Amino acid sequence: MLTLLIFLPILFGFIIVVLPSSMRASFKYITLLATLLQLAISIYIYLNFKTGVAFGGIDHETQFQFLQKLPWIHLNLGSLGTMQIDYFVGIDGISVTLLLMTSIVMVVAALSSWEITSNLKGFFALFLLLDMALIGVFCSLDFFLFYIFYELMLLPLYFLIGMWGGARREYAAIKFFLYTLFGSVFMLLVMIGLYLSVKDPATGNHTFNMIQMMNPANYTPGSIFNILSHQTIFGISARTVGFVVLFVAFAIKVPVVPLHTWLPDAHVEAPTPVSIILAGILLKIGGYGIIRICIGIFPEVATSGAFWLGLLGVISILYGAFNALAQRDFKRIIAYSSVSQMGFVLLGIASQTTEGISGAVFQMVSHGFLSAMLFFLVGVVYNRVHDRDIYNFRGLGTLMPKYMVFIMIAFFASLGLPGFSTFIAEAFSLTGAFKSALLPNWLAICGAVGILFSACYFLWTLQRMFFGSVSLKGGDTWRAALVDLKPREIIALIPLALTALALGVMPSLVFDKINDSVLALVSFTKTFIR
Amino acid sequence: MHDLLPYIHGSLSNLLGSIQFFMPEVWLSALFIIVLITDLLFGKNSQKLCKTVACVGILLICILDLGQRDFVKQSVEENIPLFLFNNSLLLTRAAVNFKFIIDLLAFVLLIYADWDHKLRAHKKGLSDLYTIIIASIFGLHLMTMAVNLLSIYLSIEMVSLASYLLVAYRSENAFSTEAGLKYVLFGAAASAIMLYGISLLYGFTGSLDLFDGNFLQGLTQANGMAVSFALVLVLLGIGFKLSFIPMHFWVPDVYEGASTPVTAYLSTLPKIAGFALLINFLTPFIFSVRWSAFDFKLFLSIVGIATMIAGNFAAVLQTNVKRMLAYSSIGHTGFVLMAIVTFNQQGITALTWYLLVYSIANIGALVLASYFANVTGAEDMEGYKGLGLRYTTASVCFVIILISLTGLPITAGFTGKVFVFSAVYGVYQQNHDLWLLLLMVTGALTTVVSLFYYLKIPLNLFIKRLEIVKEPVSKSYNLLILAAIISVLLILLGVFPDFIINHL
Repeated sequence: MLTLLIFLPILFGFIIVVLPSSMRASFKYITLLATLLQLAISIYIYLNFKTGVAFGGIDHETQFQFLQKLPWIHLNLGSLGTMQIDYFVGIDGISVTLLLMTSIVMVVAALSSWEITSNLKGFFALFLLLDMALIGVFCSLDFFLFYIFYELMLLPLYFLIGMWGGARREYAAIKFFLYTLFGSVFMLLVMIGLYLSVKDPATGNHTFNMIQMMNPANYTPGSIFNILSHQTIFGISARTVGFVVLFVAFAIKVPVVPLHTWLPDAHVEAPTPVSIILAGILLKIGGYGIIRICIGIFPEVATSGAFWLGLLGVISILYGAFNALAQRDFKRIIAYSSVSQMGFVLLGIASQTTEGISGAVFQMVSHGFLSAMLFFLVGVVYNRVHDRDIYNFRGLGTLMPKYMVFIMIAFFASLGLPGFSTFIAEAFSLTGAFKSALLPNWLAICGAVGILFSACYFLWTLQRMFFGSVSLKGGDTWRAALVDLKPREIIALIPLALTALALGVMPSLVFDKINDSVLALVSFTKTFIR
Repeated sequence: MHDLLPYIHGSLSNLLGSIQFFMPEVWLSALFIIVLITDLLFGKNSQKLCKTVACVGILLICILDLGQRDFVKQSVEENIPLFLFNNSLLLTRAAVNFKFIIDLLAFVLLIYADWDHKLRAHKKGLSDLYTIIIASIFGLHLMTMAVNLLSIYLSIEMVSLASYLLVAYRSENAFSTEAGLKYVLFGAAASAIMLYGISLLYGFTGSLDLFDGNFLQGLTQANGMAVSFALVLVLLGIGFKLSFIPMHFWVPDVYEGASTPVTAYLSTLPKIAGFALLINFLTPFIFSVRWSAFDFKLFLSIVGIATMIAGNFAAVLQTNVKRMLAYSSIGHTGFVLMAIVTFNQQGITALTWYLLVYSIANIGALVLASYFANVTGAEDMEGYKGLGLRYTTASVCFVIILISLTGLPITAGFTGKVFVFSAVYGVYQQNHDLWLLLLMVTGALTTVVSLFYYLKIPLNLFIKRLEIVKEPVSKSYNLLILAAIISVLLILLGVFPDFIINHL
């Protein structure tokens, strides 16, 4: 089932590549069909996903669902035994909601790809390749497979930003690529180190199986990452080094503040569908990686370094919010608000409490929908007049009333108004942070202040752009161009707005699915501290 | 003279006995003569015929190489090393693999040579070129097996002479001539240095045979400083073929000046054979417990790190495609040295695999460089601007090949990187040598750097735009098909590496 989900897009992508260019008008429908089919499958998976203590997942292979394990690369390495790489996919509570979120956001992104006019074949083929890689990352349970999908995202994104992007697209694309690759080549080293430290108890081979890596008993005595052998690298404990390297790799994706500078550039230059994917899904891979891999494999380091993780989270929240206040480019505001909101994910994870981690996962899902919505909305204005400077617009509310409705929903949902999903997510993350014994209370308080600032920049933007009398920089030509939402756009926006609302009213849609896994994760990390 | 008489019988029977293990090389020399005669008989029109004969011949020799695997297997089982011709050659599993890879790649190169329009325009025709390549392959075969200082020197010289001819083959412009002359001068100096080292080693030990008991014993008894000096000289001679720092100065000019198929030849085959030779040369020292006079690990680690850094960073500054590939191939040499430093079977397997995929990808990149030069006359990155949408297939292939050279999934280059890293890691886990860690960190860092310059080509092809796109000068479907095959192969090898690597 998961295999179908992963490789369905590439199948359609192949069809697009094969079809002659004369049929280019049909490409967008093919892509939409692919994403819709994908959505149907993931809804099926979501509905059939079993919950209960017996399906916690995390460190128990048998508790994962929709498992599929095929031997893939088996190399005889002589004295070092056999290299065992499996095609191993499966999901637990943490992945299933993200999977559904990804599928929905991909449909929206496909709908917003209508605006692309040049070189359609290339665009949609890359789009579907990217789609495959994204789904693959959330499903892989073999580190090698995970890494392949993780890297496979970069190339399509590079071209999607570079070829269809804005004025500074070359710079933004290469910056994004180098940043991420920098993190991931070092991740490769840690991955190989882990693989050489871990043996599959069933076969006795070294393995890339992530779940085996979580069990300290599988580490061969004396190996680098064995918890008991206290190896050091450059005088620092090897496990700490491993954690930090993996964390940096994922933190670049999240992005956590000192490593965030690629994000505003990439977002601003990327075409709307790519911005949607970037903010909606790509950032979540960072958070997902931290939960599944950093915490899963090095829980004791995560616990001892929880303060620093929390601190980085709070810095992201505040710094992102301040930067958003200072921007005058509409898209940049949204980009920095992403930095700020993803800070809550890190804060929640750092707390290592049930509330905190649930909040973090919930925030990822909720932000996935909302940032997709926000970027879609920015794209609507930009497509009509090719300008995004806030001060060039005034009184859009009277000009585009339907647009105004969706903007209000998106803004209020994002700033954490009760009744919307972000409120639940932030509340849970902060509760976790307050409750956690690992984090001082002032961190949580600072995080709460961040919500206040997010209200500031959203409301201020709303006031500057949408209220007041109509006054546009481009005069009457702009006024004519700025027509209200078209049906296609409304179709794309309604599901996003509804889910944001639904998740706010019925958070159990997510919590029910993730709860067992979160509990399993928390109790798993506790066993390590002992 | 009379003293030698009793030995002649033994030597002769050794010679004759060795020939059955020397069949690929025997046939290679036969092939050389056949191609030469074909050229002579058919004169100016012999080009096509020579090419066919050479290609078919090389394929047959590939099959013979495969046949040698049985001999090696047998010798491993019986634990008798296969020394040939009075201990001047040693047939090992690695040597057979290297020979097979060399022949296979040579086949591709022979096919590719006359598809490059600039090389084909040569008025003497390419028949000589085929003859020279076949002769050089004979030398390369010897390099993979040489374990005697004399045979090492002879085989290297054989390859060098052939390479000089190849580089200077098309010398109508000053730049190309300059490259040829530079190469000869550098090569001559390098081989003189190596010969000096060899004579010193001979002086210390009275033996040319690396596996002779007296050889190591003599070296351990001699002055450590002097022995190290001699060894460094020999390593520098080998390093000329591998183009590691500081023996890399000739590379950029020669790669740029030589015609593209010759560059493809230079950047792959002699390098593979050079590494095979390096392994042969190091083996006796590594497996000797008493050896401590010269730390090869330290030397090669430092050279490896310096090579990776210098090659990759210098490549960033280049604008000519061939020149950039030249610097990047220096960087790859550094990376492969990392695998040598492990000194174990896994390292050699990883090295073989890495060299194989690197060579395929590098040939692919140069094939496409030829293609673009044929079709549009572009040789600089500037000239590639905006060509991506016009020549989509070629450009997509270029991206795949460059991604493989960078070492990103899902191409074969990635698996190569993974195997090398895990071989080094495995050793590091046992001895916690700081140098190995530094090597790996440098390898990872320079991967990021290499991405930056490799991506310049796709950047120019796809992302930079050009208002006026020139009409194609001529068409070149052969190269396109070859490049497409190479790209598909790279992806297949990336997804299913175990088909091949389990046989290495």
